Amino acid sequence: MLPNPGIYYFPWEINSGPVQVGETLRTFGRLHCYDLAESEAILTAQRNSVQHQVRVCTKFVEPFQAQLGSLYVALGDMEQRDGEGPMLKARVLTCVEGMNLSMLEQAIREQRKYFQDRQGQVESNAS
Amino acid sequence: MQPESAKYEEEMPSLFWALDPVFSTFARLYIKDIKEMRESKQVPGIFFYNGHPIRQVDVVGNVVLTKERDAFYNYGVDDSTGVIHCLCWKSSREVEKPLSAFASQPNTSSNLALLGHVKKLQEVVHQKTKLEIGDVVRVRGYIRLYRGQREIQASTYYKVDDPMYDVQISRMLELPYLYREVYDKPFQMPQEAQSDPNFSMDMFIEKVKDFLMKNRIQTFYAQELETVKSLVSLASEPAPSTSLQQMDSENEPRSKLIHSAFKEAIKVLQDKGVIFQKSKCSRDLYHVTDHDKELHRMTTDIIKADCQKPRHAEKGCHFLHVLDSVRQSYSPYLTQEVMHRVLELLESNSDIVSTMERHYTAF
Repeated sequence: MLPNPGIYYFPWEINSGPVQVGETLRTFGRLHCYDLAESEAILTAQRNSVQHQVRVCTKFVEPFQAQLGSLYVALGDMEQRDGEGPMLKARVLTCVEGMNLSMLEQAIREQRKYFQDRQGQVESNAS
Repeated sequence: MQPESAKYEEEMPSLFWALDPVFSTFARLYIKDIKEMRESKQVPGIFFYNGHPIRQVDVVGNVVLTKERDAFYNYGVDDSTGVIHCLCWKSSREVEKPLSAFASQPNTSSNLALLGHVKKLQEVVHQKTKLEIGDVVRVRGYIRLYRGQREIQASTYYKVDDPMYDVQISRMLELPYLYREVYDKPFQMPQEAQSDPNFSMDMFIEKVKDFLMKNRIQTFYAQELETVKSLVSLASEPAPSTSLQQMDSENEPRSKLIHSAFKEAIKVLQDKGVIFQKSKCSRDLYHVTDHDKELHRMTTDIIKADCQKPRHAEKGCHFLHVLDSVRQSYSPYLTQEVMHRVLELLESNSDIVSTMERHYTAF
């Protein structure tokens, strides 16, 4: 069985908004801390001077070299744990230190825009 | 599901597929589209995206699933729009041969160097083809159906070194552009080439010219030409039609269309010097340059007379001098093209002789 595709989400969209539990997604952020005992890491991202956090479960990607402060891209499935907030259970966690972050954001927006435009066209054709 | 509207439902006959450039490329499609596009009814294994026939694809994505078999790896590749199985054969090529096959050859120094290279190559091939979950892979290949699921049978595949995400970002930026400019634009059959209006116009002009020459016509009126049945039928025949032309002819009365065709033909022939007028009015008489005896005689006479004069005796008369004289005594509207044509004709009849470039004499 193939997993669902990991759709790109910005880190600030994950704890609020459209992301549902069980959804497969990709996101990015700087590795803020890593708790080896709990297999839990936190990715952070700045946007409009607000710091956003994404909690990542690292059970599936261990062992990995945790470089605190470096950029990471994560692919995984959203989980809801009792008494805690949502958590991304990562299947892929890649260090991409040196990546052009604004370029990635632009690329994600371009891809979304394309699919939105196409969806819009299909709907206008159907009506 | 599919971004295809009903007009693409009818697929292009397979004979014309190769006319679409997308057909012979590795189409860089989103995996979502590869899984959703419609398979051809004519040839299994060919798919249609927006009317474009797709034979082979090129994808880049993360490996999210691996299975190893004796002869191949099966990778699940995720490009953020979809996940698809990619069947990647283990290489059976020369590079995978055991080194002992090379070692049997005499141990000269060049052979040893070769051995080293092969070993290195094998290592690289191994590194690039053995993938782990999370690796970025590029796969090119054919789409095939296996147990009701589409998968890509790789013709080439390799691990992409993308430590700073550059390859993936540039592809994400490129694909929307590629879709908008190529894949989402419906393929236009190059019918225009066959029914190019200029093309049929050229034919028509040739026919008019043939008609004038064959029937040795000396003078005619435009209206007279428009009564010649064989020509009218040519002009009214809508050239192998594009829908555009048909629309035109619906809006415009046929007679008007025929009239404008004749007008165009006359204008072109005039520009070429095949026909000419003694006035500027298009309703007036047209003369056929090749058959205008008076013009020929007058030109010969002028050259003959002027060559007697001491000024032209040695070199002959210059083209512009002849043109000037003929304009004065025959028609002020005579063009250079007509004059050229007359002089060429007279020369080929040996009525006049060119002494040097653009100089003529007569005896």
